[in-house]
Amino acid sequence: MNSMLHISNLHASVEGKQILRGLNLEIGPGEVHAIMGPNGAGKSTLASILAGKEDYEITDGQVTFHGKDLLDMDPEVRAGEGLFLAFQYPVEIPGVSMTNFLRTAVNAVREYRGQSVLSAGEFLKRMNETKAIVELDANLTKRAVNEGFSGGEKKRNEIFQLALLEPTFCILDETDSGLDIDALRIVSEAVNKLRTPERSFLVITHYQRLLDHIVPDFVHVLYQGRIVRSGGKELALELEEKGYDWIKEESLA
Amino acid sequence: MDTPVLTQDTALQTWTDRFRQEAPATPAREAARQALETLAFPTRKWEAWKYTDIRHLLKQDFRQQPAQGMDPVPGHIPGLEADRLVFINGVFSPSDSDLSRNAGLATICPLAAAPAACLAQMGDLVGHQDIFAALNTAWAQAGVCVYVPDNQALAAPIHILHLSQPGETPLLSQHRNLLIIGAGARVTLLDAAHSTNSHPSFANHVTELWIGEGAEVDLIKLQDESAQATRIDTTVVSLAGKSRCSVFTFTLGGQLVRNNLSFLLTAPQAEGNLYGGYLLRNTQMVDNYTQVQHIAPHCLSNELYKGIIADQATSVFTGRIHVHKDAQKTNAYQSNRNILLSETGTVNTRPQLEIYADDVKCSHGAATGRLDENALYYLRARGIPERQARMMLIHAFAMEVASTLTLDPLVAYIEQRIHDAFS
Repeated sequence: MNSMLHISNLHASVEGKQILRGLNLEIGPGEVHAIMGPNGAGKSTLASILAGKEDYEITDGQVTFHGKDLLDMDPEVRAGEGLFLAFQYPVEIPGVSMTNFLRTAVNAVREYRGQSVLSAGEFLKRMNETKAIVELDANLTKRAVNEGFSGGEKKRNEIFQLALLEPTFCILDETDSGLDIDALRIVSEAVNKLRTPERSFLVITHYQRLLDHIVPDFVHVLYQGRIVRSGGKELALELEEKGYDWIKEESLA
Repeated sequence: MDTPVLTQDTALQTWTDRFRQEAPATPAREAARQALETLAFPTRKWEAWKYTDIRHLLKQDFRQQPAQGMDPVPGHIPGLEADRLVFINGVFSPSDSDLSRNAGLATICPLAAAPAACLAQMGDLVGHQDIFAALNTAWAQAGVCVYVPDNQALAAPIHILHLSQPGETPLLSQHRNLLIIGAGARVTLLDAAHSTNSHPSFANHVTELWIGEGAEVDLIKLQDESAQATRIDTTVVSLAGKSRCSVFTFTLGGQLVRNNLSFLLTAPQAEGNLYGGYLLRNTQMVDNYTQVQHIAPHCLSNELYKGIIADQATSVFTGRIHVHKDAQKTNAYQSNRNILLSETGTVNTRPQLEIYADDVKCSHGAATGRLDENALYYLRARGIPERQARMMLIHAFAMEVASTLTLDPLVAYIEQRIHDAFS
């Protein structure tokens, strides 16, 4: 089976409340999948579960990543295995410098993957080359992690980290939220530059506009913890036109 | 009914007698010796000692002990270019000291060689505020006198290095700093204490610091002794108008450390900064008892104490801010923040504000919590192993205070100690 990520019958709850109710999804190498859905459908829950946040209880189902049991791995192991989550709300960490954070992270995943650890000089070179991709302000790496960054800077910083950590599977969790049109373009262009035949993306979004820039191969509609409809990129346009009520009515019928 | 009291007095008398030694009978020392006859030993019934039990001091047979040569002398901070005064077991060691860098700029000498004019001020700030202050004034073995003339900036920091090498008998040492900084002068002092073994010791140190108009002084205390060391460190700082003083207290080691730190803001536009950082493990305890006296109007005080508490360790913080009636336009800020790494650690924090002026800005805050779980998850999601991620967050929290130091070698030293302690 040529699958990178395989989710089958995933059920999950938080504090006793069932959020995912039998989710199935298969993503192959180099594919871009979009997950859309109304608020509360379980989109961000899915992202958090895949990245390894501990607040969720998996009540049924399984997830394999490159053939291994993903749900059994610590978050740092998932990152080492090539999974990356661009956070919807990147965390501010006062006192930890961006440069120190990024170098520690890059070398941690390199070590996990059996690659050589980068020297300070090599890392700086990599960092400066990568900055250009996301048009990141050079001064941001001198600050503490996400501290005092604008909404757009935070999101760009997520894509910057994505580029540095060289994952094979990237989840973009509402990366478009809070972005103005210019920032959206920059972030989208960066993502497009980072697309390769091996690297897959799961783009989680509420709105269609991001998908004008990052054109998906597949679009899925998540509603009440299940994928209720899948299609090509035209499904996103249909949703934009008809709204989610159409899906809600259909799935209730 | 009188008998138990008499017994206690006798015990206390026997105890205070251990502090006696050859010392010139100056008026200040004489007055302190007399005061000792009426000063009691603190108990937890006293408000100022509510959380800290120091009765073990009465039970152990502490003795002053002769200095022993050490080669090499520990406590060296790599890269720190400073004048150095070394005290071993409380005794000045000229051969380990080096006062060449500020030669001719200021009077920097052991207390025994202090000019009479400086000695005459001894005790003026600390008075006989408690038995420990009085004991120190009465019987301090040694000390440092620094007198910096007006408008003189020192060429190098002054590093006062206390080394304890207790023998089989518990070690007693008493040190006195008499620091007189002239108007417009600029000085950085590092007062550091280390032990070379883990036998019990008790150090009773007192620092009096006068800061002239417009002068700027950084006083950094580095308390890095063994797990059998008890330290009572009393510091009183008097600031003249437009002067600035920052006292940093870093407690990295010691079994029990009590810091009594008082700032007197005596004239307008004085600025006092009280910074503290402590890393406590095992059954370590630190009790920071701080007082800021806003006596004059238009002064600023800023207090930030941050600590990391692991295992069964205990932190006590008291922040007294007293704004006198005439001290209008006072700005006083205070914050005590702690991270508890265990279920069994204890934090006691109490702000005590007494405000008698009506046009003032005072704020105080205290927060005690665990490491930020969201930050931890974020770091781990980027591939950083949990242990390392925790270390990064501890480091970030602990270094907020230290990173404001201007002495880079000292910042690096503290950074390394934090790393060693928690990795």
